[in-house]
Amino acid sequence: MANKKTEEGSNNRRNFLRLGLMSSVSAVAGATLISNLTADEVEPSGEKIRVLTPDGKMVEVDAKSINKYPEAVITPTESRKGIPDKKFVMVIDLAKCKNARKCVEGCQKAHKLDDHEEFMKVQLIQNNEEGSPYWFPKPCFHCDEPPCVTVCPTGATFKREDGIVLIDNERCIGCKFCITSCPYSARQFNWGHKEKFEDKSQPYSPETQVPAAEGTVMKCDFCPDMLRQGKLPHCATACPMGVIYFGDKNEDIVTNGSETVSFSQLIKDRGGYRHLEHLGTKPNVYYLPAVNRQFPVERGFDVDEEIIERYKDVPFVKELKEQGKL
Amino acid sequence: MKTKIFQYLFIFTALAFVNPNSFAQETNLKNYKIRFGLSTTKQADNSRILEASYVAANKKDRKDRVPIYDANINFYNVFADEEVLLGTAKTDQEGIAQLIVPANQSYTTNEEGYINFKAVFDGTDGLDYEEAEVAVKDVFLELNLEDIDSVKTVILNAYTLDSLQTKIPLEETEIIFSVGGMLSKMPIKQDNISEGRFEFEFPEHISGDKNGNIDVFASIIDNDEYGNVIQKKNIAWGINKNIITESNQLWSDVAPIWMYVVLSILLIGVWANYAYSIKNLFNIKKEGKELELKSENEN
Amino acid sequence: MDIIKRKSELVNEFSPMLEKSTKTSKIWVSFLILVILIGLVAFIIQVVNGHIVTGMRDNVVWGIYIINFIFFVCLSYSGAFISGILHFFKSPWKNSVSRIVEIITVLSLIIGPIFILLCIGRLDRLYFLFLYPRIQSPITWDIIAIMTDLLGCFIYLYLTFIPDFAMLRDNSENAPKWRQKMYKILAIKYYDTPTQREALHKITRTMSVMVIALAIVAYSVLAWIFSLTVQPGWNSSIFAPYFIIAGLYSGVSVIIIAMYLIRKFYHLDHYIRKVHFMGAGVILLIISILFGYFTFSEYFSRWFSHKIEDTKLLDTLFNRYFWYFIFANYIGVLVPVFILFFKKFRTIKSITFAAVIAILGLYVNRYLIVVPTLETPYLPIQDTRPEYIHYTATWIEWALSFAGIAAFILFFILIMRLVPIIPMSGIIDYEREQKRKPHASNNH
Ligand code: SF4
Ligand code: SF4
Repeated sequence: MANKKTEEGSNNRRNFLRLGLMSSVSAVAGATLISNLTADEVEPSGEKIRVLTPDGKMVEVDAKSINKYPEAVITPTESRKGIPDKKFVMVIDLAKCKNARKCVEGCQKAHKLDDHEEFMKVQLIQNNEEGSPYWFPKPCFHCDEPPCVTVCPTGATFKREDGIVLIDNERCIGCKFCITSCPYSARQFNWGHKEKFEDKSQPYSPETQVPAAEGTVMKCDFCPDMLRQGKLPHCATACPMGVIYFGDKNEDIVTNGSETVSFSQLIKDRGGYRHLEHLGTKPNVYYLPAVNRQFPVERGFDVDEEIIERYKDVPFVKELKEQGKL
Repeated sequence: MKTKIFQYLFIFTALAFVNPNSFAQETNLKNYKIRFGLSTTKQADNSRILEASYVAANKKDRKDRVPIYDANINFYNVFADEEVLLGTAKTDQEGIAQLIVPANQSYTTNEEGYINFKAVFDGTDGLDYEEAEVAVKDVFLELNLEDIDSVKTVILNAYTLDSLQTKIPLEETEIIFSVGGMLSKMPIKQDNISEGRFEFEFPEHISGDKNGNIDVFASIIDNDEYGNVIQKKNIAWGINKNIITESNQLWSDVAPIWMYVVLSILLIGVWANYAYSIKNLFNIKKEGKELELKSENEN
Repeated sequence: MDIIKRKSELVNEFSPMLEKSTKTSKIWVSFLILVILIGLVAFIIQVVNGHIVTGMRDNVVWGIYIINFIFFVCLSYSGAFISGILHFFKSPWKNSVSRIVEIITVLSLIIGPIFILLCIGRLDRLYFLFLYPRIQSPITWDIIAIMTDLLGCFIYLYLTFIPDFAMLRDNSENAPKWRQKMYKILAIKYYDTPTQREALHKITRTMSVMVIALAIVAYSVLAWIFSLTVQPGWNSSIFAPYFIIAGLYSGVSVIIIAMYLIRKFYHLDHYIRKVHFMGAGVILLIISILFGYFTFSEYFSRWFSHKIEDTKLLDTLFNRYFWYFIFANYIGVLVPVFILFFKKFRTIKSITFAAVIAILGLYVNRYLIVVPTLETPYLPIQDTRPEYIHYTATWIEWALSFAGIAAFILFFILIMRLVPIIPMSGIIDYEREQKRKPHASNNH
């Protein structure tokens, strides 16, 4: 009988997560279970998942109650270290993006963000009047020379060894200096009070940024909690087109979930570039130019009115509107 | 995929007897098809993973899949009428129950050399009995990484054993070679093996971990006859691209020394001046006091 | 001794200013208090509801709080600068204005930082600045600079007050007990003996140099908060000197206005004379030309090299902010220059008018430095919520800004109740000098 005992399993998992990474992913199933699963027994908190119980009841349960690793929370102090020997990098293939917005939604769900709170934004960029417009998913670039970190007076935002730039919202005093110095508008501020800030069911970690706090800053975090489990960030998993590749630069391997390729080869073959290179921020997010596209840019207009409205200043959109095509 | 034998056994009769108010949602189950499947993977250390997946899929909406959570699944090795219980596992929130059978477990095989596995859900009042079977041959992959005349060569020998323990080379089976990564494996070669042997030159540009170590994998994936088989070996063939982490003192914890120096000089200078002024004020006060005393004495 | 007699004479002359509270002054004070109270209400609303009540949002994260902050702090630095120079060079007309300048310096240095506090999301964590300081952050530099400067200015101000306190102590037999006692403590047994006087002069002089140096450092640090970022409208190497000039511009203007008001309300025509206004006017002229020059080079080089981000910024400035731009950078500079340039236009009223225009222009200029830059980031803002695209200050922000100004004036009035606005010791010193070299010109 090789079935692992419940406790042992979760303990191992916890130590494992604290130390760093899984080398080969072999999930321990059936660990940490709740024996009796009914809807009203679960404390209300956030996200619900629908499952079928062995008795054939379809119930909505709290995601938290069947979350396998609630103990593996990385404290603010631990989160400053980073995952050893890694250097994370993201590659976004603009040729495949059709503004499906699944990355945005996946990210919002995982980070408990409201509407309009977007760590990942999809912009429509047209470099010049003649230039062909393209969809441009934009997370935080986790710069190697991050101006945001330089200017923080308290060290609330920091860059870790693995290249990830995080914010400790228990340290942040909300001076917003980092927001003004980020050239990529990657940061957001919690202006008012929200009920979700009170939800303490999940202990705070800078690696998840949940729960957020009033008067502090937040931004895309590259999902280190997922990386510690050997999983891709939420945006990369959510994208149906496989636009977002993620991986370790040291290993020189990036993957979008279905395809795993050599990072350096990919950049070389496809002419990868970084946005606004001349600013010297040295981003860790690379873009593959929007050539040989899989979709015409118009495919991206299959979204809410409100979202189309955001792009009203782009010359291409203006043109379409004049022609009555939008 | 024939190895993942999905069996669709169920009609929901029991539900008809349930009070619709207390289990309002269950009535929907009619629209769901239960999928129960089993697959097996032989791992590098010769242990074997048995994985049963148990989900209800909406007949109309393909995206709507509801996992059955926390269900007990029993895994058996079946031979003729005999069933040997290998272990039990519960399904997780994705409806997957996984059992890792250690390498030293011996299995009974049938005449053609197949091992039969079976996963069983015993059934409850709400859900019916389910079972799924899979039959695979036990494959042995021997992976050798050799430096032949300074050419990094990957050599794979693959065979099965017959009842007399003689090696039968594998024919026409697709093998995927890959290197291990943090998030997933990167394929480096994908080809059919013939006469039980395959050989190729290891690519030059692989980085490996910080010491240049690489996990090289050879795997058979979703094969009708063999299921999943994975073999792995570690070797220091990486060119070790390890990127030196940049350190710029402007964003690090500790500031450049000159900043401390300049700041201290400035502050010391200014504060010394303040102190000097205040000291002088005290002198003034002292003198004033003496003056007062003197005038009092005079009076 | 006629010096002693002269001292009591002076005290008698200025005492009414310290004690009388006329009807108008009462109305003024209660009005100011009212404004401050409204500001307090706004502050409470902001604390309870969070920064959502302000007009600031994700793109424009700094609004008029920061602008007020720069404005007041620059005012203070320029005050320190000017007063340091007045003292150090023993300029002939220092007497009439030096105290005004010193009070402006200290008050604005107290009020300015309050605005930066209003801008901070988590006031409850302010002490983190000292608990986890990062030396590399320009904010840290600024905090150190402001605190050091504040203390320095306090000491300096106090030094210049001591002889007056001593005179008031010796000559206010009729004043209420608490006043007498206060003067006694504050005068720290200063009896104007030659050694005491010399010691005091010496440290006042070194402090005046210190204060100038500090002001330059603090100005630069303040400018660096902006110019060390990579933002298009901010990343400019001339920002530090530009801020110094802009600060002096506002400083001299505020001094002129204060001189005008004080002269008018306290009937000090004898002490604050036309010649002072003329002098200040000429200085304002020089500074306004310098300021115009800096402004011009700043925008001219952006326009001429037309990097795409700069072009976008200038587009915003010349479209959405067209009238602001015209007012701040044309009217706010050219009108004062025009008025002050021709000798025949220089009257007390017109000089004061030029100063008012200069201040308003400068304030708008600051607004144009902060807000439009934040509204034109490198990556275009693609949003549908108007408040996230453009910044408009809410009443909360305005209420607090006006409360700041009101507090400034109120404290000014209160300090004038404490010591005469014209340093009596200065008059004595001056007369002493005169006696020693009776042939010197008599144009005090
Ligand atoms: S993109 Fe902005 S927030 Fe992210 S690391 Fe770079 S400067 Fe900082
Ligand atoms: S807002 Fe917070 S994270 Fe940003 S610079 Fe200020 S203290 Fe640091």
